Amino acid sequence: MKMQEKNISANNFEQCIKCTVCTVYCPVVPVNPLYPGPKQAGPDGERLRLKKGLFFDNTLKYCLNCKRCEVACPSGVRIGDIIQSARIKYSTDAPKLRDMILANTDFMGSVVTKVAPVANFALGLKPTKVVMDAVLKVDKHRTFPKYATKTFESWYKKNVMSFQESFKRHVSYFHGCYVNYNYPQLGKDLVSVMNALGYGVHLLENEKCCGTALIANCMIDKAKKNAEHNIASIRKSVYERQMPVIGASSSCNFTIRDEYPHLLGVDNSDVRDYIELGTRFIYRLIDEGKVKLVFKKDYKAKIAYHTPCHMEKLGWGIFSTELLRMIPGVDLTILDSNCCGIAGTYGFKKENYEVSQAIGKPLFEQIEKLRPDFVACDCETCKWQIEMSTSKEVKNPISILAEALDLVATSEANK
Amino acid sequence: MVSAARGNDFDVIIVGGGITGAGTARDCALRGLKVLLIERHDLATGATGRNHGLLHSGARYAVTDRESAEECIKENMILRKIARHCVEETEGLFLTLPEDDLDYQAKFVESCLAAGINAEIIDPKEALRMEPSANPDIIGAVKVPDGAVDPFRLTSANVIDAKLHGAKVLVYSEVTSLIKEGDTVKGVEVFNHITKQTAQYYAPITVNAGGIWGQHIAELAGVKINMFPAKGALLIFGHRVNNVVLNRCRKPANADILVPGDTICLIGTTSSRIPFEECDNMFVTPDEVDVLLKEGEKLAPSLASTRILRAYAGVRPLVATDDDPSGRNISRGIVLLDHETRDGVKGFISITGGKLMTYRLMAEWAADLVCKKLGVNQSCITMNTPLPGSEKENIDEISLKTWSKPGATHKATVGRHGARAVNIGLKDEYDASLVCECEEVSVGEVRYAIDELDVHNLVDLRRRTRVGMGTCQGELCACRAAGMLADAHKCTDRAKNDLKNFVNERWKGMYPICWGDTLRESEYSQWIYSGVCGLEGRECETNKAE
Amino acid sequence: MRFDTIIIGGGLAGLVCGIKLQKAGQKCAIVSAGQSAMHFSSGTFDLLGRLPDGTEVESPLEAMASLPAEHPYSVLGVEKVAEYAAQAKEFFAECGIKVNGDASRNSWRVTPTGERKAAWLTLGDFTPPASREEKIGNKALIINILGYLDFNTKFLADSFEKQGTECRIASIKLEEMERLRKNPSEMRSTNIARVMDRDGIWEKTADQIKTLIKGEDIVVLPAVFGLKDASVVEKLREAIGIKTMFVATMPPSVPGIRTQMTLKSEFEKAGGRFFLGDTVTESTADEKGQIRNISTVNFNDIRMEADNFVLATGSFFSKGLIATPDKIYEPVFGIDLTYNEGRENWFNTNFWKKQNYISFGARVDADLNASIDGNKISNLYAIGSVTGGTNALYEGCGGGVAIITALAAADRILEKK
Repeated sequence: MKMQEKNISANNFEQCIKCTVCTVYCPVVPVNPLYPGPKQAGPDGERLRLKKGLFFDNTLKYCLNCKRCEVACPSGVRIGDIIQSARIKYSTDAPKLRDMILANTDFMGSVVTKVAPVANFALGLKPTKVVMDAVLKVDKHRTFPKYATKTFESWYKKNVMSFQESFKRHVSYFHGCYVNYNYPQLGKDLVSVMNALGYGVHLLENEKCCGTALIANCMIDKAKKNAEHNIASIRKSVYERQMPVIGASSSCNFTIRDEYPHLLGVDNSDVRDYIELGTRFIYRLIDEGKVKLVFKKDYKAKIAYHTPCHMEKLGWGIFSTELLRMIPGVDLTILDSNCCGIAGTYGFKKENYEVSQAIGKPLFEQIEKLRPDFVACDCETCKWQIEMSTSKEVKNPISILAEALDLVATSEANK
Repeated sequence: MVSAARGNDFDVIIVGGGITGAGTARDCALRGLKVLLIERHDLATGATGRNHGLLHSGARYAVTDRESAEECIKENMILRKIARHCVEETEGLFLTLPEDDLDYQAKFVESCLAAGINAEIIDPKEALRMEPSANPDIIGAVKVPDGAVDPFRLTSANVIDAKLHGAKVLVYSEVTSLIKEGDTVKGVEVFNHITKQTAQYYAPITVNAGGIWGQHIAELAGVKINMFPAKGALLIFGHRVNNVVLNRCRKPANADILVPGDTICLIGTTSSRIPFEECDNMFVTPDEVDVLLKEGEKLAPSLASTRILRAYAGVRPLVATDDDPSGRNISRGIVLLDHETRDGVKGFISITGGKLMTYRLMAEWAADLVCKKLGVNQSCITMNTPLPGSEKENIDEISLKTWSKPGATHKATVGRHGARAVNIGLKDEYDASLVCECEEVSVGEVRYAIDELDVHNLVDLRRRTRVGMGTCQGELCACRAAGMLADAHKCTDRAKNDLKNFVNERWKGMYPICWGDTLRESEYSQWIYSGVCGLEGRECETNKAE
Repeated sequence: MRFDTIIIGGGLAGLVCGIKLQKAGQKCAIVSAGQSAMHFSSGTFDLLGRLPDGTEVESPLEAMASLPAEHPYSVLGVEKVAEYAAQAKEFFAECGIKVNGDASRNSWRVTPTGERKAAWLTLGDFTPPASREEKIGNKALIINILGYLDFNTKFLADSFEKQGTECRIASIKLEEMERLRKNPSEMRSTNIARVMDRDGIWEKTADQIKTLIKGEDIVVLPAVFGLKDASVVEKLREAIGIKTMFVATMPPSVPGIRTQMTLKSEFEKAGGRFFLGDTVTESTADEKGQIRNISTVNFNDIRMEADNFVLATGSFFSKGLIATPDKIYEPVFGIDLTYNEGRENWFNTNFWKKQNYISFGARVDADLNASIDGNKISNLYAIGSVTGGTNALYEGCGGGVAIITALAAADRILEKK
């Protein structure tokens, strides 16, 4: 009988054996009793919701979408996807103004960057914070990431675009909103590292926000529009210009690869394998003997690597850490796998602030105890959270490479 | 009214705690009679709890059996009113596949309309919009007012109402003999399997509502009813694939109905005559599983890859018509036998044949005859009187009225008990904590079932609350509930045996389909119960011999 | 990415094998599709509790001689098994895991429902009686945490009383726990343990317990202490002051998870790479049939290469074995299995009888090498419950088979050098 060879259901939800493993690894459950937990909110609740939508419970919004339950599940159930899909399908809560502001990272970025000094000043002011706390319910403890005075894209166009074609090999770069509006330096670092390796770096056609925050805030129509646009641009890059796409943010990467098809129903199967993190791309080049890294002789750093949740899910932390290990003079410790608590926009919301900090506490304590020179991490929101909650600076592995590499010697070696 | 002097004297004794007996007990009690209902196992253990749970529109019978079809549609409309919390108004579709004869459709619709069933031919595309899981290859579709009905809930609600109207209910009590004086049945002798005591109960009328086992009750009275047990196997899938009942538009055959029922859906049935001895110990064969899957896949292709939760089988109590001396012709409809006129045995009637759908009508007929014999002039009111829990509101309304912030657990509870959920203590966090996580059954609900709903063991509890009916088939909940039963019954040994029986009973439905995730699930159960807990059942007793 | 040995499966067997290899200087990777069955552990490892014919075993090492030839112990040879059994205790000690027990004599752990089951190595939390009949004390105080549903005090009291121990049941109530119970489903062992592990809480717990003791000589508690490390168990024991016995709970298992975490971090500390939540998708063999590399979901086009491969994927639950309606197969390499044809021969219709499917698994030779189409693959090893030849549940030998085959396979690999 050829039937019943496999059980197929949305997000593998009926593969669930009810073994309870997911409940052990949920970072929210121990700190927030209002959250039903991954098993209840996920596969258990799904059976009831399939019966009638009225069994949807609004407390599902407390899910961080960290996917740690999925990594732990021995049955391959996509628990996080079940929960997020249920929110998308059933939640009747209209997004609040606050959520819209937090979620529309590219719109906010494009407006605020123009008036960055004023905005940074205002966002840092106590009265602003009080108003944001009281009116918008953005927690007053939060420091808004500073906006850059000039976007990455305009820097790129003005300073480096002209000579990118001169390289023999090429990649497209999905920089994400954070690099564009808040921290262009990471983008600059990526360009210089890739250039040193002999790769020209190109922008995608009209890159839009990947949509991580939109999905988290249930603004699905907008997220889907962005997704379709981005995939079309990526397709052009991959198939018309034979350029794979790299990024430096684990969450953007994860969203484009996995959340697009799973949550937004945007098919990316023809390009998914061509989207990856820069560290993975570079690791493969080294593994295949295609590039050589030449490091500065005097670089020394004690680094603690934090694996972001979405990196854990991607399973790609290894590529970042193996690269860091290649740097002579680096003393690398991999921190215990623990969610930092920010989960994108989640921790910015007043109602989640305490939970968010409680989730991250063990991580912060471990960092302080270890006393590294700085923390390495592939995610920008983890960076905000760790920098706000500890005394340590957080650097993206790409930036660390840019610091540690002898860029001139490296580009010579890869000519 | 007939006087009832002693505690063991009743106006009427009803033997059989299936839906027919429960319905008859309710009807009689509503008419003011003093009722005793006796069941040898638990309520709804026979054919009642082992069928599709389909709220037939009657369409299935329209072509072949007009009378049944008419009865079905009438009762269908009544149950929607009186048993709201047991019924789900899903609608139904009769699908014509490329391999079926589309000409049958016209005849089918004509017959439906003639029987008073609102059957409407719709565009197959419209049918697929209504039910996306249906086979996309269909060439025809007819919409009919089918629905789903939960037989356990329905039986329980009838019993609750009977009790509210003074009826006494004895479960795990087996009629060992009928007390006869001359040619008159005066009462019954009953062995209680829990207390191990024997007792006599008296009433001027005894109603045999024993379903297929009613043949044996009749024998005790010295009369013969010719019954033919017909086995029907079904498969339960782990979750709902469809939200609309799917039928094949052809002459009734194997595996041509897919019904959504609570959190699951089920495909059935097969049909095969079995020897009488097998009625108490039925199992599903691999061949039956294969047929059900093969045919089920044609209704909804995704069934071929949907996880199966259980396989089980029930017995249809088919009755030979009295006018056929060969005994081979089956009576299709309700069979009400007055053994006084038929066999010269007074004080004894049998109500049998029929279907879950027509239980209320069967009860009405039986109660009418009982009243006539007792000289009671009370007419039937069950067609207009809602069952307890089925008052007007829907799940959301009841939940909001009862709790300030109803969550999924509260709503699931209301779904199971209707308006009677207000009697369930879910006041504090301890009451609200979950025993069964798959079906969201709380400590409060389990306690309510134990206290109020004649629950003697875990299997009974499952029938009242759905504990252990979910995906895991009782992995953690069985142990938790066993602890609560040990508390309630103050007997740990019994609770522990009960746990073993329960796990084994769940396994009975799993082994016929034990591959893939079901095998993974049962391996996990083995680890927990045989491994970590180290439980061993040397000889697993049945629930009866508790 | 290149390794000396790649182990597929990160449960007890995979980790024990990986730690031994890594500590011996190899570069190892473990690929694990989700967390392992250690999460449902009883907190003890069994070596052999019963022979296939049902005879109860007192001394596992002696009884092993009468095991059938296909049993993994027989395949390895009883002497070797004894050697590895002795090694195992040291192995755990070196990993910082305290275990008690003796391969020459079973002890009898108390199960969550109050039964007694044969045990070999017992985590430090537990103090198993020496025999099936031994009383745990004269008067026992069985304590639960109010609202916790997965610890059945009644069942325990009943079985202790049958052995002549007078029992009293009580519960403790802690503010911090009430917060947990606000959640209808998540008052689970691990979440309780997270609270209990905090400084201040276990002290409070001990204080409450002390006030409850009224002449009892033993306190019985659920094993919900020490998720991160076992020290709180000892501290609590000391603070209570009288004999304290911990009994395993329904899943998840706090001592089991702690052991899993400790072993994993031991492996990583030694330099091993652990890939959690990744699944092997395909493998490549050379013309001689030797496995050369594997591909996983996450690594995709970046192949993982190694000299040796160890299959420690477990049985059906963890998808080491897959059953379809008409066959059973091993999904990673398609190795040869021992199993009964025809699914009616996979099970007994009584849940509580021996279930054949549990004894199905990989066919291995004395080197623990698996075979494909009858050809030995000399760089592919199968260990733990993916191996066949024993009904580990019925015979009570799952823990032993996992540990001993893991140590043996590591030795075989190291001997090659």
